[in-house]
Parts: sequence; C-alpha cells; structure tokens
Amino acid sequence: MALNGDEEDFEWEPPTEAEMKVIQARRERQDKISKLMGDYLLKGYKMLGDCCEVCGTVLLQDRQQKNYCVSCQELDSDIDKDNPALNPQAALSQVRERQLAAQVLAAAPELNGGPTSSLASVLVPQPRPEHCEGAAAGGRALLPPPAVASPPPPASTTTLAPIRPPVCPQNTTLQPVLEEAEEAVLTKLRWATTQLQSSASLEASIQLCSLISSCANSLRSLRELSQ
Amino acid sequence: MVPLEQLHLNHVLQTVSALESVILRSFGPEGGQVLFTRDTGQVMLSRSGKRILTALHLDHPLARMVVRCVWKHSTITGDGSKTFVLLLASLLRIIHATASKETHMFQSHNSTKAAEAATARHLADKLLEFALTELDKFIVLNVLPHGFCVSLENFTAKTQHNLSFQTLLVSFFHTRLGYAYCDFFRNLFCELLSHWKVKDDQPSFSIHLLNNSFPALHTQVSGVPVSCSRLIEGQVIHRDFATPCPQVRKQPLKAAVFNGYLQPKLLTTGDVLELRCGDKVTEDRGIVHFSSWTERSVESIIATLQSFGVSVLLCALKQSTAVLAAATQAGMCLVECVSEEEISLFTQLSGVTPISDCRRIHPEHIATLTFCKPLLLGAHRCVHLDFHDCEERLKVKPCSLVICAPSEGQADQHACAFQDAFRMLLTALEPMHKTQKKTIPSEECTSLHADNISNEAACRVHLHQKCVIETGCVISAGGTFEFLLHHALHQYGHSCSVSVNTSAVSQLLAKALLSVPRQIYSHNLKHFLQAQTRVMALIPRQPNALSTNLIHTEGPLADGKLSLCSCNKGNMSLKLLDLGLESVSCKYQLVLAVLQCLTNLLRMNMLLRTHTILHTKSHNSLNAHSESSEDEDED
Repeated sequence: MALNGDEEDFEWEPPTEAEMKVIQARRERQDKISKLMGDYLLKGYKMLGDCCEVCGTVLLQDRQQKNYCVSCQELDSDIDKDNPALNPQAALSQVRERQLAAQVLAAAPELNGGPTSSLASVLVPQPRPEHCEGAAAGGRALLPPPAVASPPPPASTTTLAPIRPPVCPQNTTLQPVLEEAEEAVLTKLRWATTQLQSSASLEASIQLCSLISSCANSLRSLRELSQ
Repeated sequence: MVPLEQLHLNHVLQTVSALESVILRSFGPEGGQVLFTRDTGQVMLSRSGKRILTALHLDHPLARMVVRCVWKHSTITGDGSKTFVLLLASLLRIIHATASKETHMFQSHNSTKAAEAATARHLADKLLEFALTELDKFIVLNVLPHGFCVSLENFTAKTQHNLSFQTLLVSFFHTRLGYAYCDFFRNLFCELLSHWKVKDDQPSFSIHLLNNSFPALHTQVSGVPVSCSRLIEGQVIHRDFATPCPQVRKQPLKAAVFNGYLQPKLLTTGDVLELRCGDKVTEDRGIVHFSSWTERSVESIIATLQSFGVSVLLCALKQSTAVLAAATQAGMCLVECVSEEEISLFTQLSGVTPISDCRRIHPEHIATLTFCKPLLLGAHRCVHLDFHDCEERLKVKPCSLVICAPSEGQADQHACAFQDAFRMLLTALEPMHKTQKKTIPSEECTSLHADNISNEAACRVHLHQKCVIETGCVISAGGTFEFLLHHALHQYGHSCSVSVNTSAVSQLLAKALLSVPRQIYSHNLKHFLQAQTRVMALIPRQPNALSTNLIHTEGPLADGKLSLCSCNKGNMSLKLLDLGLESVSCKYQLVLAVLQCLTNLLRMNMLLRTHTILHTKSHNSLNAHSESSEDEDED
C-alpha cells in the first residue's frame, strides 16, 4: 500500500517473525494500558496532561491528588514477579533449574538398587515452596524411588526412601562415597555367594540369586557413576 | 516541568484509546449503562456517550479537545457519540500502523517520530479530502438503494413509510433507554409531535420549535413510575405563585409579561442617586420622597393593569415586597423568576410582547388565557395555563410533556433521550447536500422491469445529471451502513481506474469502517460473520446495476429534482426492520465529523503550558462541576 510511488533509496520489507512477535506484544500491552486507563477514568481518576518520565504513558491522578502511572505501577509488576533479585521464589526456581541442567549434563543414571544411607546423607535438605514443585518434580523423575523388596536378611541397611536430587555433588567427594558403596555391595555379594553354595532350600536359593543379581546391578551403576 | 512538550502520535493514540475503552462497554444494543455518583449523593445514569465523556475528569488537552468535538457533534445530531470515538480510535490505529511503515516518504525530517507524524498528517488530510469530495457518491450509489424513506407526512397512519418512522424512533429509544420503555416513549413522542404539528406547513418546522423550546416544554417528576409520563395541554411554568391565587376566576383571563422590575430598585452598591426637584438638587427628605414616589408609581401600574382586566402577571425577575403587596391587594396572581425560555415560549404561543417599560402598557402586551391554575407535579407546585384561540391563530395545539421516573437520574436520562430524538430527526430529515449540487456521472441506466409493485413501494430511481438527495433516508441498523460502504470503498480501491494514493486512502477508510460492526458483534464472532454475509447478499452482482425492484422512468422529473426513495424488497425489508433503523444522513455527518476531528488532532505537535485558567466558560458548560486547577492550552 505504497503512498509514494517512486521511493528512491528505501525499500520497505515486511517484518520478520521475531519482529512480528514484538509488534504483537507491544500492541497487546498498549491495549491493556488503554483498558486499565479507561477503568480508572470511570472510577473518577483524573487524566493529567503530563506523561510518566519512565515509560511515557499518560498519568492519572486520584482523589487524594496522588499521581499514578498505569504501566509502571500495574503492568510492569508482571515482570517483577520473575526477577530473582526481587522475588525469593523466583530465585529458588532459578537455582533448581540450574541443578536440573547440571544433572542432565552429568547423565545421571537411574539408581535402582542399594543407595546407602551414606548416599542419602549427601543430599542437602532444601525448603520446597509450592511454585517450584514443577522443577523439583522433574528432578525427582530422574531418580525414581526404587521399588525392589528388600531381602529378608536383617543386615541390609539399605534405606529405600524417596531419593531427593543430590546437590551438584563434586567429583572429589563422589569418589570415596562410591568406593564405600562398592565395598559394601561387594561384601554383600560375597556373603550371598557363600550362602548360595551352602543353601539347601529352593526358596532361599531363589532369594539369594535375586540378591546377587541386584548387587551386580548396583555394582554396574556404581562403576558407571565413577566413570 | 517542561513548559514545551512535543506531541507524538503515540500520545494521541493512547489518549483516544483510553477514551474508547471508557465508552466501549456501553456501546451497541447490548451495551450497559454507567452510573455516576457524587459525594452529595446525586446520581446520573446514562448510556449516552456524550454524557459519559463530559462527566470524566480530563485535564489532558487532547482528551478535552476530542470530548468537545463529540459534544458539538452530539448537540447537532443527537446521536452517535460512541461511534464517533470508536471510529476515531480505529482510524488512528490504522494510520499509526501505516505511518510507521511508510516513513520513508518524509525522510527529510530529523527523527522517525517526526517523520511518522508528518506521514500521519498527510494521510489524514488526504482522507478528509476524499470524504468531502467523493464519499457521498458511494453512499448514494451503494448504500441508499438498500434503505428506506421516512417522512413526517401523517406519521400516525399505518403505512410502510410510517412503519419505518416508528421503527426509527423505537430503535433510537432502545439504544438510549433500554428495551422496557422504548415502545411507550415512541408513542408519547408521536403524540407530542402530532399535537405540535403546524398544519399545512413543513413538518420539520415543528421539530425545530420543539427542539429549541424543549427545556420549557417538559417537566421532570421523580418518585413516580415511568408509565405515568403524559402530555398536558397548554404550558407549564416551573414556578409557583408568589401571591395567593383566588379560586374563582372568570374566563378568559388576561395576562401580562414583565421583563424588568415593576418597582425600580433603589440603591445598590456603587450606584449614585441624584435627586432633583425642579432645577435644584435637594438633599433633605430626598430618599424618603423618592421611595414614596416609587410606591405610588407601582400603584399606578397596577391600576393600569386592572383597567385592562389583567389578573395574571408573569415576571422574569424577583419583585419587591411592595409590588407583591399591591398585586395581592388588587387580586392579581403574580409569578416571578420565570425563566427566559419559558417567557419566550409564552410570547410565541400567545402572540404578545413582554413589557419592558412599565409606564407604557398597550393592548398588544396583554395575552388571553383560558385558565391559569396551580398544578402539583411530584413534589413541586407549578403554574399551569393554556392559551385562548391558539389553535386558530397558530394552528397548533400546545401541550407540555411530563416525564416521570422513579429517580431523578432516570428522569434526566429520559428527558435527554427525548431532546436527542428531536435532534436526530432533524438531522435525518435534512438533505445531505445543503450547499452544493453533486453531479453524479450519468451511467447507463439499466432498464429493469418490476413485475409486482405494491402500493407502499414507491421506487423511482433515475440517474440524472444533477441530483439532490432526498431527505429522510434510513437504513437498517446493526452495521449495514458500514458493511455496504466498506464493500464499496474496497471495490473502488481495487479498481484500476484510480490512482495509487486514492486507492490507499479508500482502503484505509474501508478498513476503519469495519471496526464499528465488529464492536457491535464483539461478544460473538459468528454473528458478525452472519451479519456481514446477510448484508453482502443484498449487493447485486453487476457493479452498476440496481436491484430488480426498481423501475426506470423516462424523462426528467419536475424541476430537475431526483426523487430517490426506498425500495421494498418484500420479505427482506421486514427482516431488516427487526434490527431497527438508523438514519443515513446522521451516519454520513458522523464520518465527516470524525475525519475533521482526526485532521485537527494530527495537526497538533506541541503542548504549551500556561499558569492561568483558560476556557473557563466552555469548561463550565461541559463539566457539571468545574475544578479550579491549572489549565493547559495546546498550540
């Protein structure tokens, strides 16, 4: 829809996708501002001849002679909600997001078996606001609570509590932990093997075999972790 | 605070958008009412855009300017103030969008904002030029054939024309007062018109008279149900008697009207009274002598009036106690502080002139009344009088309107609706061209033959060299005007015979016009599409052919005038009548007014702040209560 047929050096190009989004967002924001201003005018606010210095919107004045800028004081608070410097919940969600990203990078495996109490003690307990449930739930999904029935031997000290996502464990602290775990599992494995060799009943043998297989799985996971 | 401020297109758009959002919720047939309350407990209930906008507190000069334009437009046409703001806002948005794309036209400007403003100004000027020269052609060719004609000739009979007239009134009252009372008020309105219709004369004359004297012609009564509204014969003066009114009156009565004081007022602040007795200036007993002389003169005036047989005195100003006492003694009824409008109506109806010099009272100052008695309306006592032989003299049966409502706010709303109905009718009935005769290019008249012509469908369309559009054209409401005009402008913009600039301008206007029906059907997009389809179905396939119900007459009509009347499309017309009717002339004036306001708005580019209050008079007339704040003027 060119008004001037002969434009010499400027060719109008249609806006790109991103620009369209920006234009659309700006238009929606302007519509929101107009609607709010109209509501305030009907409530008895006065429309002044001045504009706000920050955003350039027309200022309104209430009955108590207090100036009010619709966009600064009402609309922009939507953005403040997401600012970590202003909102603690936003800060927590940001931290959680970073943990998630790090975990994905470390290729956290699914720990099915034998997380020991020592492993559980590595986890730092954190306060859980409701808003961050989503991020936390995502982290939890990576480590499903193992549902394997614990073997009857009372020596088992495996705690199968729902595991919380670890707090970015450093590699230096991981190694002794893994070694200890490996040691414990190997011990159990040796014990189970000796028991199996001397076992007479079928049931006991089956249980011992399952114990051995879960120990082997745990060892494999631990070995993968240490790599 | 900067004394000088640049105005940008954004500011204009933001201000007008805020005003638009104020009236948006009351717009359309399903729009709501706004209830304004004051700290004193007074309420104002309104759906009229003019009242809503003038009740806002606005200090921004642009907003005030827009509201003033709306007010002036509404004072003349009586309707369309919300549509005004809606159309203005949508035009501004489209121009803003276009200007941001097309700023390369004015690259000589320093900043993009200045270039944008210049482009916008240019566009607005082009739009106005286009509308002033070519818009009426589109309306005549594309909108009027789908409309009806109304006239005031014998509007109480049940013919097609009168059905349209009644429907026009009903739809108007529906938009203002809601569904419940629109029929009742339509009947009341028609009754009022029939009483005041001057026989053998232009019907619009009586509407002019009613419009000008409406404040004196109606009384608002609150606390009574709406159905008690009625007409009373004669005139009602909204003052009570200042002197006791004796019960027995011989008929007919004689009355006189006084513009000034019967007893000259004595000293007020700053007056110097010079008393002369012969040639010498006396100082002793001066003031006593003077006041006794004035009292004697009052008695002589009353004696003169008694000799004429006058028993009713109507005074514009407050009279002194001596005058009241003298009138009581003489057995005359006196009404003081009668408003100017009532006095002028009285003098018009009775045919007398008011007495300005009390010493010269002649027979032409004496009016004859059939009765003059007190009347209780609601909580107030008024004076009710009727004129002797008014019908023979003026050929009019004067009557006054009593508007009842449960609350004051509602009574006020009804009275405003009545007044605006007069203005709307006046605009609807006036020809679209007052000053210039348009030359519509003579196209090939397609001779179409109509098989069945009913008596009500007087359809004669004849494309002649010179034509004047006839008055009283109405079209069905609900956005039909906008749809048809949009289509016509859109087609015109796409046709090859126009220049690029004109095409751009006509398409811009077409796009803006569509915002009105879009807002009417904003709650349901399906209805919008249905309405658009229904209206588009009315448009014939061939661009220049007219509808099949039109007949082609040979030869020019009497004195070269074209009579462009309505066409009846049988069932379609009845369906369209269900939607209500609106006047084409009002819509055309609205579009022109919006474009002029737009041009003025965009021509401004600077705000100057002053420290004195300017425009106090207009400020007071627009706002119900004025605030003494710093006022700003625009460049």
